[in-house]
Amino acid sequence: MPLSAYQIAEEPYFEPQGGEVALFSAAHALRQPVMIKGPTGCGKTRFIEHMAWRLGRPLITVACHEDMTASDLVGRYLLDAGGTAWHDGPLTLAVRHGAICYLDEIVEARQDTTVVVHPLTDDRRILPLEKKNELVRAHPDFQLVISYNPGYQSVLKDLKESTKQRFVALDFAYPDAEREAQIVAREAGVAKDVAVLLVRIAERTRNLKGHGLDEGASTRMLIQAGRLIKQGVGLAEACHVALVLPITDDMGVRETLSDVIAACA
Amino acid sequence: MTLSSPAKLDTSVLLPLEPEEEEERPLSERIPGLRRYLAGLYGARASLRALPGEGGTQVARRTSFDGRVLFLPEAYRGFRDETADRLYLAAVAHAGAHLAFGRARFEPKSLKPLQIALISLLEDARVEWLAMEALPGLRRLWRPFHDALALDKDGATATAEVLMARLALALFDPARPLDNPWLAKGRDMFFAAMPEWDDPGALRLLGSLLGNDLGQMRVQFNSKTYVVQPVYRDDNAGLWEFDRPPPPEEDDTSLAEAVRIETREKPPEPGERERREAGGESDPRPASLSPLDPDQWIAVARMPEWDHGAGRLRPDWATIVEATPRTAPAALVERWLEARPDVARRTAGLIRQAKVGRPARLRRQGEGDRLDLDAAVRAAIDLRAGFDPDTRVFERSALSERDLAMLVLLDISESTKDTIGGTATSVFSVLREAVAHLSAALAETGDRFALHAFCSNGRDEVRYRRVKEFAEPFGNAARSRLAGLRPGLSTRMGAALRVATREAARQLSHRRLVLVVTDGEPSDIDVTDPAYLVEDARKAVQEAAGAGVDVFCVGLDKTGETYLSRIFGRGNFVQIGKVEMLPDRLPQIYVRLTR
Ligand SMILES: Nc1ncnc2c1ncn2[C@@H]1O[C@H](COP(=O)(O)OP(=O)(O)OP(=O)(O)O)[C@@H](O)[C@H]1O
Ligand SMILES: [Mg+2]
Repeated sequence: MPLSAYQIAEEPYFEPQGGEVALFSAAHALRQPVMIKGPTGCGKTRFIEHMAWRLGRPLITVACHEDMTASDLVGRYLLDAGGTAWHDGPLTLAVRHGAICYLDEIVEARQDTTVVVHPLTDDRRILPLEKKNELVRAHPDFQLVISYNPGYQSVLKDLKESTKQRFVALDFAYPDAEREAQIVAREAGVAKDVAVLLVRIAERTRNLKGHGLDEGASTRMLIQAGRLIKQGVGLAEACHVALVLPITDDMGVRETLSDVIAACA
Repeated sequence: MTLSSPAKLDTSVLLPLEPEEEEERPLSERIPGLRRYLAGLYGARASLRALPGEGGTQVARRTSFDGRVLFLPEAYRGFRDETADRLYLAAVAHAGAHLAFGRARFEPKSLKPLQIALISLLEDARVEWLAMEALPGLRRLWRPFHDALALDKDGATATAEVLMARLALALFDPARPLDNPWLAKGRDMFFAAMPEWDDPGALRLLGSLLGNDLGQMRVQFNSKTYVVQPVYRDDNAGLWEFDRPPPPEEDDTSLAEAVRIETREKPPEPGERERREAGGESDPRPASLSPLDPDQWIAVARMPEWDHGAGRLRPDWATIVEATPRTAPAALVERWLEARPDVARRTAGLIRQAKVGRPARLRRQGEGDRLDLDAAVRAAIDLRAGFDPDTRVFERSALSERDLAMLVLLDISESTKDTIGGTATSVFSVLREAVAHLSAALAETGDRFALHAFCSNGRDEVRYRRVKEFAEPFGNAARSRLAGLRPGLSTRMGAALRVATREAARQLSHRRLVLVVTDGEPSDIDVTDPAYLVEDARKAVQEAAGAGVDVFCVGLDKTGETYLSRIFGRGNFVQIGKVEMLPDRLPQIYVRLTR
């Protein structure tokens, strides 16, 4: 099996927020392309890993970036001893062998790159490899998933309308306080009351979105802070290095964050 | 219990004793941080301002709030440095607790002033308890301010004020032992009523009772000299439905400002303009010294116009007129920049990135540090097929050089006076703020840029305003011209675009760019065919391309898709649905366009 390396053996821990597991399963049954929206560090990647495991599909993840070309996705000829040989890119691999292909932060890629997914995400379900002169029909198990952070786009960095409209979307937010504390306690290995406190702090930093912060502290940040606390670092210091310093360089905003954190505990 | 005679009210204990201090941090510098603090703690938004009528008052100052406006004293007498910093935080945290957990105002009805003060005190304690439940750290912030008066147990000063300060502490810190039955009664009843805290009637009843007790004990209360304790609490005015003066309007600044400038500018005193401008660095253009009236328009050029019906260019059809720029204080621009620190910060960040330049991946190079795989494969295939291969098979990264000149062309026609849905802010005021942010950022990059604006009054009067020229800095002179810009009239875009193109084409930079910001479709009083000016503008854009000038448009009209893509071509414009976002978007657009 060519994709065994992409198979997920252990259950990735995922705390559902709502109906997303059922919704995704339904979309998967139809092989509908799915877009997952949500702020950074809210569990999008974890969710997809969990779903791939649950559905027993291999998962191929591509982190998109600006310099990515269509060849980086579909593949290219490489030189070898005997001449040239075609190497499938990650997308082609998933299409041929039936994996879930997860394009993380797809808006980072240029629009002329992202259009390669178009023929895969309508009824045709095909991937033309122009350079190789091949038309790959998608394996029945292939599914495309993209993630997308609506907060960070500028007007010029957005998905084309024709790309957007091919997907069904799941909208993620940070989990509610109860669940988030559960997640932090489990992932960081800290006591519940510490996790509750970290989540309370996070909620306050999220209030500062638009008041000097583009985004409040993510679940991921809380887990980092929690892990430091587990190592014996004090709460204030852990919050300082894991939340305050990474999130902003503005001295005034840092001061506010410290004051707000002090009010929480 | 021994009580002092009311006549001997010792006011010295009511006021902190230190003399007026010299310069503390001014309130205006604290406000952005305090506003953030309020938002962070409670997710609440309020307008923070200085208490009006500062200075020389006998009464100690307290914060005061009225709806969503929070007034803060310029300084707290006797508090400085670190303690002053904490006091302001404490004050904002307390007022915020009212905003977050408060409810409808109390009706004074037949209550006596002492009862009103007591009910307020109970309400203060209630909202603080609720706040501390969510934010336990606030206890540490508030606690130190309770001590001054409340710990004074000397019978001689057991005035109503002292008793109330002690009650405030007893409610804040109920575990402290009390030697005064009235205080104990107040504390116990307050906490016994906890399940009914949601009911405003419960506190009202308790406050009235406690007030009656004090009355029976013949403790006198002077509402004229009474000051709420501890010092971080507000004056309670926001809790009561008194006959209030109308609340100060929110966000009225831009309008009021505009009016003020207008009137101040009306009679342009001869020489006044020079004096105003002389404050800044010298202006390379002689315009500011010319005696022209800002409204005396002089023809400077004629431009052709495209008649799409006839399919021909009408030569010398539109007359470009210019006048001495109007000015207004350059400090206004500074104020717009400061009014949106978020935008300024994000923009600065963006520009910092842009300045560094971003490595571009240069493919198909004759030499380089990496093989360009696609090119190499192509070459190998060509070789094998017996063709002459293209030997440029390398790839390298290079920092892109920035060598560009941009002219920002603003449509300042009448329609920009429209207010943005449901607010008092006009499109124009957002536009000039956005331009201020962009200009301040551009001044940082060192990119050459000019700022021009246009409107029109028929083909004989296409008004062209030069706010900033390529050669001059974005200094006081340019700033005061930006501040002096006023909207009006129509949008003959093609003619203005041709002037702008000519100006940009004159620049020696590698890349020349005209960035048009417009809020609507081209139109003018002497044109009835709606397609006519659109087609003419389209033609002007094509001419620009021929002259090596790129034109890009930012449209503020949600429904502009059709004509914008007709004029500028698909991909050469963006639409911004929410005009308020323009200050944020404009620099982003610039950075994306120019890298
Ligand atoms: N619902 C959840 N269940 C379990 N763990 C979670 C959940 N949400 C977040 N996490 C934890 O938060 C971390 C960050 O989540 P994840 O990496 O999935 O974020 P993301 O949304 O993909 O962020 P980004 O957009 O930055 O890639 C995970 O490693 C995981 O520990
Ligand atoms: Mg992720």
